[in-house]
Amino acid sequence: MSHAIVTRGLEKRYPKGGTYAVQGVDLAVDHGEVYGFLGPNGAGKSTMVRLLVTLLRPSAGTAHVAGHDVVKDPAGVRASIGVALQDAAIDPLMTGRELLELQAVLHGLSRRASAPRGALLLERVGLSDAGDKRVGEYSGGMRRRLDLAMALIHEPRVLFLDEPTTGLDPSSRLLLWDEVRRLRDQGTTVFLTTQYLEEADQLADRVGIIAGGQLVAEDTPEALKAQVGHPHVHVVLTNAADRERSLQVASAVGDPRPGVTDHCLDVSVQDGSLELPALVRALDDAGIAVASLDVVRPTLDDVFLQKTGAHLAEEAVA
Amino acid sequence: MPPDTQSSMPVSAPPAPALPKSGRRPRFVDPAAVLVLVRRGFNEILRVPGASIPGAIAPIIFLVGLTMVFGQATDIPGYGTDSFLAFVLPVALLQSAGFTGGATGVNLGRDIEQGWLDRLLLSPTSRSTILAGLVLSAAARVLIPVPPLLVMAIVLGAPMPSLVGVLIILAVVPIFSAIAATWASVLALKFRSQQASPLIQASILSSILFSTSYAPLELLEPWMRTIAELNPVTYVIEGLRQCFVGEISWTVTWQAFAALGGLGAVFVTLALLGLRRFER
Amino acid sequence: MITPSVALALRALRLTLRRPQFLIPLFLMPSIFLAVNTGGLSATTRLPGFPETTGFLAFQLAAAMVQSLMLSGLQAGIAVSLEIESGFFDRIVTAPVPRLAIVAGRLMAAAVLGAGQVLFFLIVGVIFGADLAGGVVGALVVVVLGALAGVAFAAIGLAIAFRARQASIVQGLFPFVFAVLYLSSAFFPQELLGPPADTISAFNPLSYIAEGLRAPIAYGMDALPILEGLAMTVAVIVVASLLAVAGLRWRLADAA
Ligand SMILES: Nc1ncnc2c1ncn2[C@@H]1O[C@H](COP(=O)(O)OP(=O)(O)OP(=O)(O)O)[C@@H](O)[C@H]1O
Ligand SMILES: [Mg+2]
Repeated sequence: MSHAIVTRGLEKRYPKGGTYAVQGVDLAVDHGEVYGFLGPNGAGKSTMVRLLVTLLRPSAGTAHVAGHDVVKDPAGVRASIGVALQDAAIDPLMTGRELLELQAVLHGLSRRASAPRGALLLERVGLSDAGDKRVGEYSGGMRRRLDLAMALIHEPRVLFLDEPTTGLDPSSRLLLWDEVRRLRDQGTTVFLTTQYLEEADQLADRVGIIAGGQLVAEDTPEALKAQVGHPHVHVVLTNAADRERSLQVASAVGDPRPGVTDHCLDVSVQDGSLELPALVRALDDAGIAVASLDVVRPTLDDVFLQKTGAHLAEEAVA
Repeated sequence: MPPDTQSSMPVSAPPAPALPKSGRRPRFVDPAAVLVLVRRGFNEILRVPGASIPGAIAPIIFLVGLTMVFGQATDIPGYGTDSFLAFVLPVALLQSAGFTGGATGVNLGRDIEQGWLDRLLLSPTSRSTILAGLVLSAAARVLIPVPPLLVMAIVLGAPMPSLVGVLIILAVVPIFSAIAATWASVLALKFRSQQASPLIQASILSSILFSTSYAPLELLEPWMRTIAELNPVTYVIEGLRQCFVGEISWTVTWQAFAALGGLGAVFVTLALLGLRRFER
Repeated sequence: MITPSVALALRALRLTLRRPQFLIPLFLMPSIFLAVNTGGLSATTRLPGFPETTGFLAFQLAAAMVQSLMLSGLQAGIAVSLEIESGFFDRIVTAPVPRLAIVAGRLMAAAVLGAGQVLFFLIVGVIFGADLAGGVVGALVVVVLGALAGVAFAAIGLAIAFRARQASIVQGLFPFVFAVLYLSSAFFPQELLGPPADTISAFNPLSYIAEGLRAPIAYGMDALPILEGLAMTVAVIVVASLLAVAGLRWRLADAA
């Protein structure tokens, strides 16, 4: 099998509601690839994950994961994958260690083998000290890490992480990112959904953008950004009255358009840093006072805006 | 983004574990997995302070209260005993079993709401293993309230069952609890939430009471007699009752186990279908 | 005082009616016991000492009614204790609503619900062939007594809820409802009860409330049991409401 995940015309319509949560998605994720599935709330990310991990049956289309058909051979899929779902249910009455051992036994490890395996994974996600505390007493970040450890208990070849860092503080997020990179280095295929542009940009080898259940764009983060085109210079004027004039002046350097407030304009340029001095000089020569000037490079949000006509809510990540 | 040097996750790769080969078909019922699931089932009563008390007390209140209130009923010819306590003790035992089994379904409803069942379904374990874990935990848990109930009954004057009687009780009560848990799971899987709780408890309670629960068949009102004759639980009650009233008979015993077997077969089939249909 | 009480009463009723998991047990559980007791124990009317009645079903209707009313009193308590836990209670208390309206609203809702509950069992009884000894007038008396008894049990539920530290404690009182029932003459004539219920039931207010509801259905319009039932119900309402109000005061002082 040449791909870790392949889907053809995958569709899901929930019995209630009747609209498509996932519509006609074709995917091909390579072995050892980190695939970022990016989309806003309600885009269909979780539905896609639940289809691929055999928790939902497709309404139409096919999907193969690790070489197994999700409908015809769900057991084969389950044996090859690790999953951390978005709303991780973790029994609050059990300890982290007990949960890992339970997960190990459910995955066919012998009871004797499951204890050292659990201990190993606790250590790996930095929960050794909390291993014997009940999960009800864990913080949100600790639960997420335990959830990841449970997904990794059987060294899965394909790992699904549904919004693994939503609600985590910046340092926990970085820890999780490191873990994902390490798994990729070991050859694990990772299918990761996220609402965060930066997360997709940082982690994913390839990004698929999903909106309204449809895959609207797919490529490496760099290629996607290149698609939307050039960087622009964001200019904030001291006086709004200067804007008409500044638009004329800037057209000598790039392709200007009015910004969102009447104090600013955006000048599309070829490179960014190269044109900056010329622009500063031109504005200065025309006697236009400038409050600030920034080179803005295209982001995945621009890609998103271009493909869907809507912004993704960008969240600041430290 | 610079790598975080403070990381508490060690960067060295873990040694390869003794993993089962992936792609192996799961066993129909995996005993080790059932065992860990049963152990989890005990958490609900052992790790929540006071959680085992209502299940233990309610059947005792029911038994003692009912005997106090309706005790004179055995003056009517036909009961075969002058102890109403001995006569309704099987009902209290089954209520204990039914309550425990019903609680298993209620907890499953909660587990579905919270996504825990998804976790179990995501593992390569067979669906039958998951079901076995649920229902066997009910069978095991009912062994907590039963001894105090029996001791209480004997202290209050119920006859001491014979050794065979004790064995019958220790078989019938856990099996009934498992069957009640299976039925409760069918409902929980159908409704996918704890909202099924009243339906679960009411249906189990009715199955026990619409029978020869309070009086022998001949003394029941005609409509009740018809229901009781059709209700398999009647045979289960009679199977237990012979341990306290009259003599133990082979026929009554096997009828009780046949009724349990029939109920079990139907509900297990429904529950496995429900689990399979759960991924829709 | 009146307007906020009515508003709170309507809210309590709406919430009860909207949640089938609350409503179903009130009607279903007593109906199951009613059917089972009638189907299984009708032969006990042959026992020497069993009073002349219009039938065992008619006799048992009052038992189903008080059981249902007690369960709904417990539920009123559970609802309030859950509101206390969830913080909703703090919001009502800080709103410009007279404190007593919190109690009065719940009790008004209980009166309406209680009338509905006894009416339900009267209709069930008639459908399944019970003769109403007191006729239409008797039925009206039962509905009035039922509404009052609903208030009485709700007041007890509130008095407990205000004092309870956790909702789970109030929920755990479920078996206790049955203990009180078994220690009264609700299910069976007092002369035929076994010890210690035969003695205790004479002092159990529930016996009188049940007999008051039972007389117009199963015996006829005897003034004595009806007036005794009425007096006992009113006495319980007065005592329990005072306890509830004291509990509310305590809870508020505790919160401050
Ligand atoms: N069980 C369900 N029944 C009916 N509709 C559903 C169900 N689950 C999801 N949907 C609908 O399907 C669409 C996609 O939902 P999904 O949960 O896959 O989105 P998501 O991208 O994961 O969003 P989020 O970022 O909020 O997790 C939404 O419109 C949602 O309302
Ligand atoms: Mg989601």
